Amino acid sequence: MKRYWKLLAMLAVLVMTFSGMAGIALADETIKIGIVGPRTGTAAATGTAFEEGIALALDKIQGAGGILGKKVEVVFEDTAGDPAKAASGIEKLITKDKVVIVLGESHSSAALAEIEVANRNKVPFIIAEAWHDDITKKNYPYVFRAGPCNSGVVNDSIMGFVKQYKFKKVAIFAETTDWGKGIKELAEKGLKGLGVEYMTIDTETKSQDHYAELNKVKKFKPDLILAFVYGFGVHYLIAQAGEAGIVPSQALLLEGAGPPSLWPEFWKTVGKYGNLELFVSRMHEKVLLTAVAKDYDAAYRKKFNKAPTDYKSRSIYDVILIAADGIKRAGSTDSDKLVKSLEDTNLEVSSGKVKFGTEKGTYAYHQWQPPMLIVQWQDEKQVVVYPMDAKTGDLKK
Amino acid sequence: MEDLLLYLTNGVFMGTTYALVALGVTLIVGIMGVVNFAHGELYVLAGYFSALFAQAMGFDPLSSMLVAVALIFLFGLVIERILIRPTYGQEMYSLIITFILYIILQNAYLVIFGPYPNKPPSWVTGASNLFGLFMYGNQRLASFAAAAAVIAVFMVVMHKTWLGRVIRSVAMDREMASLLGVNTQRVNMLSFGLGCVLAACAGVILTPVFPVTPTVGVGISLTAFVVMILGGLGSLTGCIVGGLLLGIVENLGVGYVSSGYKHLFGFVILILVLFFRPTGLFGQKQL
Repeated sequence: MKRYWKLLAMLAVLVMTFSGMAGIALADETIKIGIVGPRTGTAAATGTAFEEGIALALDKIQGAGGILGKKVEVVFEDTAGDPAKAASGIEKLITKDKVVIVLGESHSSAALAEIEVANRNKVPFIIAEAWHDDITKKNYPYVFRAGPCNSGVVNDSIMGFVKQYKFKKVAIFAETTDWGKGIKELAEKGLKGLGVEYMTIDTETKSQDHYAELNKVKKFKPDLILAFVYGFGVHYLIAQAGEAGIVPSQALLLEGAGPPSLWPEFWKTVGKYGNLELFVSRMHEKVLLTAVAKDYDAAYRKKFNKAPTDYKSRSIYDVILIAADGIKRAGSTDSDKLVKSLEDTNLEVSSGKVKFGTEKGTYAYHQWQPPMLIVQWQDEKQVVVYPMDAKTGDLKK
Repeated sequence: MEDLLLYLTNGVFMGTTYALVALGVTLIVGIMGVVNFAHGELYVLAGYFSALFAQAMGFDPLSSMLVAVALIFLFGLVIERILIRPTYGQEMYSLIITFILYIILQNAYLVIFGPYPNKPPSWVTGASNLFGLFMYGNQRLASFAAAAAVIAVFMVVMHKTWLGRVIRSVAMDREMASLLGVNTQRVNMLSFGLGCVLAACAGVILTPVFPVTPTVGVGISLTAFVVMILGGLGSLTGCIVGGLLLGIVENLGVGYVSSGYKHLFGFVILILVLFFRPTGLFGQKQL
């Protein structure tokens, strides 16, 4: 009997040893990439856009033989735009899932919590769509952003648009989040610099009713409203501003976040008041800046049988390509080698050629600002009205 | 004056919606002692149903709303029979079960309906000039009228009909009602179903104004709880007054103080009321 026990024990040890080795072999066959972003909450639509972009990027990378001869595995953690959930989500990706790099996010509040975890754990983190300047202004060595930042969007795009079209009175409508507060302050500063009269309304993020706030805007009689409200909230704002007789008859409304104006239910919620609405975007079907943009557009239409609308699917697609390129050039998944490799990035993606800033001291460190477009809905068709060299039509007032 | 009128008008509209949402929670708490955490999710489901029947099946707005409310009523009866009834006398268990139900439903909506907002077609479009002073959405006015009508009918049923008397008798003294031949278990079931109907009515009436998303139910439930506590646990009249008070205070706060702290005003008024009247405005265990 004793002999059988010994035999069983030996067998158990052998099984465990080989299964462990098999596990190691399996783990070594893939490169794990972590993605963070909202799959629930007010911006859950961004999670859907991210899923689409991830699928397309994986098709492209796996089709080319993976990275360093290994397949890529993506682990997508829902952060719901909540800093606490975001911090624990990225911690789990790094410590439990053992990802070699983390990508994504589209909420500044969540990203500001995540960069602390990534930097503490010395794991590279490339942000796709969280815009607050402080994300890169903190100059963390492991944190990069291959996407818009508040300063870039306000100074390069929105203020240029205001100046170009000679708006005289601007109402700023900003949600009370990190992103909303940050971009509001930059817009106020920019308008002051241009000598444009302005007023500011702070609004709660989850507020669905804006009538009382819009009453103040109407009395100010602006010719432009800058709406820094993300998610479905901006749909309610546009619909109510229309009912209150403000847009589009009295003022145009420029939505400062972009994708919510492209989400499928936009027209159903805002109705006729969506006409002449403006929004900031990284993408337009007639403005395909690079060969990668054309590839992406064709691949998207083929895979999903529809035209791409939410540009955040393309943002995450770009960021995954940047990460893959970084790992390839590093020839390793070692964090420090990866950071060095990312700093040397010179890669063409769908929005342009990526080069990260390397001089410390400002938000431009580890930041690459893609060119942004200002698009106007004209009879349910998207018309690029700014910058002038990318215009596809005239601004209608 | 123009500003004040707008803030009051919008406050009364929002307050009526708050009251309608909170009445269902209050009814269920008053009769059964059950705090239904999934109340907001039933509101959301009714909103989705009305949108689905109107868009995918081509029902007219009224029919889609009626079918949605009927389905939620049946769903409420099933929830009571399967999930709530076994927990009678164990308030903590019912609390946990409705909390779990809220999580399951919210995730199910995300999977089934997706993350985007959903709304049925508006009953009316455009806006009207109220008092010759400001523009106000026609759909809001229509939804306000419908919500006020539902509240009025509900109050008449509760105070002027045999059914209402039976329900109120159970809330006042369950044992005595039982001794007098009232089937209290059936009253519980009916009350829960009726509470769900109120959530559904709020859902179908308000979804054309505020489209539903999978997670919007959390805010709905939270507001309902605030209104219920403000008005006094179990008081239907308190619920209506509490809802109107909350709506008006929020709008005056946004209008004259700051728009960045809209929901804070509601909590401030709640703390003040509880400080001076710990049982709420109309707090007593009597319907």
